[in-house]
Amino acid sequence: MKRARGGGDDEAPRQNGSAARRKGDPPHSDGVDAGSDFGPADLQDADNDPGLRREIRSKYRDLISSVQQNREDMLSPSNNRLTEVLEEANKLFKDVRQAREAALDAQLLVVATDLGKEKATQLFSEGTAFDPSAFAEHLLSVMGINRLEDEEDEQQNGGAVDGYLPQDAWHRVARRAECCFRTAPSFHYMFGSFHAEPPPPKQRTERQRKAPSKDAKRIMPTQLKKMDESHQEATEKEVERILGYLKSYYQDDPTSPISYYEFVIDPNSFSRTVENIFHTSFLIRDGLARLYLDNAKLPCIAPVEEGEVEAGVSCSRKQCILSISPKTWKELIDALDIKDTMIQPLNTQNE
Amino acid sequence: MSSRKRPSNPQSASQPRRQTGGSAAQEEDDDVAFTQPSTSQVQRGLEKVTEAQVDQKSAEVVQYFLLKDQKKVPVRRADLVKHVVKEHRNIYPEIIKRAARTLDQVFGLKLVEIDPKNHMYILVNNLETSGDASPTTRPTDPKRGLLFVILSVIFMKGGVVRENVVWNTLKKLRVDPGEKHDEFGDVKKVVTDEFVRQRYLEFQRIPHTEPVEHEFRWGQRAEAEVSKAKILEFMGQLHDRDPQSWTQQYKEAHSSQNSSQQAGGSSQR
Repeated sequence: MKRARGGGDDEAPRQNGSAARRKGDPPHSDGVDAGSDFGPADLQDADNDPGLRREIRSKYRDLISSVQQNREDMLSPSNNRLTEVLEEANKLFKDVRQAREAALDAQLLVVATDLGKEKATQLFSEGTAFDPSAFAEHLLSVMGINRLEDEEDEQQNGGAVDGYLPQDAWHRVARRAECCFRTAPSFHYMFGSFHAEPPPPKQRTERQRKAPSKDAKRIMPTQLKKMDESHQEATEKEVERILGYLKSYYQDDPTSPISYYEFVIDPNSFSRTVENIFHTSFLIRDGLARLYLDNAKLPCIAPVEEGEVEAGVSCSRKQCILSISPKTWKELIDALDIKDTMIQPLNTQNE
Repeated sequence: MSSRKRPSNPQSASQPRRQTGGSAAQEEDDDVAFTQPSTSQVQRGLEKVTEAQVDQKSAEVVQYFLLKDQKKVPVRRADLVKHVVKEHRNIYPEIIKRAARTLDQVFGLKLVEIDPKNHMYILVNNLETSGDASPTTRPTDPKRGLLFVILSVIFMKGGVVRENVVWNTLKKLRVDPGEKHDEFGDVKKVVTDEFVRQRYLEFQRIPHTEPVEHEFRWGQRAEAEVSKAKILEFMGQLHDRDPQSWTQQYKEAHSSQNSSQQAGGSSQR
């Protein structure tokens, strides 16, 4: 084995060894030539002709790819291309200066060695060598290839061998090969097997996943509802509270009209004034209070009595839009001389 | 060459097993949990169970093997213990012994441990095939033909081939690994995945190649199941030659032939 390998393989390391030795020399001599200035930097400059570097690298790459592409041909014992490639590489190596080129050289060496090893293995096969292509050709006849069409095909495809393989080609090979296998016949149920486990666990996991998502959904709407309700409730409560004030003022003195502005305006807060107007409008809409103009054409407000509610529906209803701005609010406070609010704000009550 | 190469084989072969096995790490973990009980432990364990219980368990093991064999993927001892033997693991050797006997005497199958390190079992037909012109009418599996071609090439090329050799040979047979084949579908997957999982083939990376290259070897199942002598005989017929003219292969075939037929499978090697 070793002897045989030596024959095919030896030249690669030997040649490369000498190349390595050669590699040591030129940079040294270069260094002496340009030794006057900074050694290394100058040395690089001298070798730094980019065109030359590129050329070397491209030649190396060509060599590598040619070896890789013609691998099968180069494997044949009569082919001497491997030696030629190595000699070429040796020539190239004379000009190698930089690490990149050296790396390419090493790569070529790997490819070449690999090829050498393969060539060497061919020498091991004592007796008759085995040729896979001949094997394939023989197999094709076993497969029942129809070579009658070959002649036409050869003319058409320029010599490419192409025959027609029957449908059961691989079955034929399998049948012939059967005797080489001692495979246990596999055992199958006549009516197939029942469905295996997987489905149930899947369902379980789905259920588990679904359950929390439902909870999450449930939480969302309840939260929203609560907000809505509390908001509506607050408005309703406020409206009722104001109605209470209105009624109590009315009962205190049913004869004297309650001025709408005096009732609604909070001299301490414009926003509370607006709120009061907003809430009072519900009373009007629901027919629980009515607005009317007094002799001075100022709006007055009065609660509608229980009995009058139904009657109020029949009488014609009017709509109006009331606007108020901080400016008019202040003017009204001054004009009507409002000192205090008639509707106590909620917060202060609470306090 | 092959005789010298052989000793290095199990070592290098253990590497791809680790890669292709995927769950190799888990395999080892499982195995730590299960240590083969000693003979005396088995004896003591047997005293605690009834004869019927042991028979029941071994029958379950037999069934497990038969079903698992449908896909031709080896059975791991760790799986067997985990899924079937379970609480009776202390008498595992007795159970497997009885299962092997049933498989042999009832089904004519031999239980072979193809990988003594990772404890993998396969079933092999114990009965001789009835001559080369087998009158069997059962349907043939075309994949078997594909496998046969690859195994033959590997064997005839001395036990290891680069993937290119295999692909080129297949191409000559109108099977292009890059294309979808009518019968095999994704050929590359069948060869490098299915056959490898079944342990018919080993497919491992050749170190330090750029671009990456792989090589094929016979898998452990092939060693136990496929007769090299028969392949060589077939080669002789094909090439119209005396099988002995392939000296190396002939030697190899007839040395392994002995071990696989007398000692029963490559578990002995």
